[in-house]
Amino acid sequence: MSVPVTPTPGSAPGAPPGAAAPGGGAPGVSPGARPRLVSRARWEGVTTALRSPAVIALAPLTLIIAVFFLVPIFGMFTIAFAVQTDDGGTGIGLDNFLDLSSHSRAMRNSVLVSVVGSLIAAIAGAITAFCIAQIKSERLDSVVAVFSSVLANDGGAPLAFSFIVTLGNTGIIFGLLGLEAIGFTLYSWQGLVAMYQYFLIPTMIMVTLPTFVGLRKEWIEANISLGGSRLTFWWRVGIPIATPALLGGWILLFGSAFATYASAAVLIGSGGFPLIPLSIDSLLGSGLGAGGQSTAMALGVTMVVIAVVVLFFFNRLQRRSARWLQ
Amino acid sequence: MASVNWRYSNWLPIIAVALYVTVPVLCSIYYAVFPGGRFSLAAYSVITDDASLAAAATRTLLIAGLTIVTLVATLVPAVLAVHLWAPRLRPVLEILCTLPLVVPPIALAAGVVALLRWGAQQGRGSLASEISQFIQHPDLPLILVGTYVVLCLPFTFRSIDAGLRTIPLKAMVEGSSSLGSSVWGTVWRVVIPNIRGPVLFSVFFATAVCLGEFAIAATLNRETIPVWLFTVSNTNFRASIAIAVLLNLSTWILLLVATLSAGRFSALGKAKRKAAALDEATTLEKEAH
Repeated sequence: MSVPVTPTPGSAPGAPPGAAAPGGGAPGVSPGARPRLVSRARWEGVTTALRSPAVIALAPLTLIIAVFFLVPIFGMFTIAFAVQTDDGGTGIGLDNFLDLSSHSRAMRNSVLVSVVGSLIAAIAGAITAFCIAQIKSERLDSVVAVFSSVLANDGGAPLAFSFIVTLGNTGIIFGLLGLEAIGFTLYSWQGLVAMYQYFLIPTMIMVTLPTFVGLRKEWIEANISLGGSRLTFWWRVGIPIATPALLGGWILLFGSAFATYASAAVLIGSGGFPLIPLSIDSLLGSGLGAGGQSTAMALGVTMVVIAVVVLFFFNRLQRRSARWLQ
Repeated sequence: MASVNWRYSNWLPIIAVALYVTVPVLCSIYYAVFPGGRFSLAAYSVITDDASLAAAATRTLLIAGLTIVTLVATLVPAVLAVHLWAPRLRPVLEILCTLPLVVPPIALAAGVVALLRWGAQQGRGSLASEISQFIQHPDLPLILVGTYVVLCLPFTFRSIDAGLRTIPLKAMVEGSSSLGSSVWGTVWRVVIPNIRGPVLFSVFFATAVCLGEFAIAATLNRETIPVWLFTVSNTNFRASIAIAVLLNLSTWILLLVATLSAGRFSALGKAKRKAAALDEATTLEKEAH
């Protein structure tokens, strides 16, 4: 886009709008004159570029992303990696991340709840998606697609309230099923796992249903005509094709469970059962202790890193399964 | 007989999941309107009795309105620009818009808190602290509007990007400008009506996000409806359940309408329906002959 255009001497400087790219000011060098840092032609090139519709249209969104996303995240990373050096200045180091050892309990809880919750939801969701695909009704498929995408985005404070009423210590279903007898309590990792299923299972269905629907009829027919049984089909064709999607779905669920804050905060509150997102909140709320704030930022950076890893693997696995499903 | 059983057994997991999803909502409704086993809407009297709920609702709706306007007014021109004039910037914009997906809301909240505290530390009367004060204003926390726009971007960008890809954008703009329309006139009268589906999706999705977001609002201590629910649950639990049911159902409806409008108005869906209608017409014609 920003190919430097050297204007012929005497011609009007500035590219036509539309050809001008952001920052693509033409370096104008008039003959005989020594090129200055900001020549008149370059300046006019820049102003023309700034007036081009592309720049006008892109500027507001870029500004919003910068102010409300990039700068805060940059600030978080800066604080997380900033350390006091011996001579009183600040340097870059990992000291704040070493403080995380005092949050090892929160880390362990978060990983436990996310692994168990995502595993159960992945299995339940995959089985459900498989059954939906087996029914072979296009209408059911589209209804499920809509509802699962709605429920996958659910999971704020209201979810926690509905689970307190349902499975809490005086909850309706809690009493009905006599869950007290088996030692179930909502305000623990069991409760979090049960509550997370509410949006994790629909997410899994949403992610894996296209794969199960896409297992082509021709493949089943080819398998039969080559003398294969139902079992050989699933063993040799179905499962190898579905595996990347299933694995990707499970990883995505793990990330989603790990990042969940609102419903966990309402259910658990602070204390009780520490999780990483809850620890960030309580460290931020603990006020002006600078140490607390930098530990919170280090925890935030850890969460971002985990989310990046999750999405990276999810994308790779999705692409691999998409290769078979057009 | 066995094969019939096998076919019905496919429904079992679906019914189980459907029950798992509906039972908590039914329990909440029961708890809210059947206190002590008798039907009563007493829990909803909090709507008229509690001024803090009205304040929280006004604040939330104001934030939602501003978020929608800002989102649509900045995202649509930006995606248009990369499609029309700067195709090389499209991957950059895509990455920028997808990035919020890798930052959990609570981490973004931490970053925002860091930024606002830095602003406040610049001293009384300094520009940074004035701005920090201004965007945190309790009645209209603009910081929430900005961060909610960011939270909406990954999904709405994809929707609008896909919408623009399915229409012959270049031909539309060239045709319209050769007929004497200005660039923005074209956008308003030709392009926007053709991506109505994705725009509507963005509007409803953004509303659902604004009604449900908790992490950032709670961290910044700004009382939106979800934060109000959390606060009031300590004193009047039944009222918080009653309002939570309403909030939950309206979020569902908003997301439902968002998903449906994305499919319904899309060029693809339209083409499909047209093809179906054509099919029907031709078969009818054949039958008539």
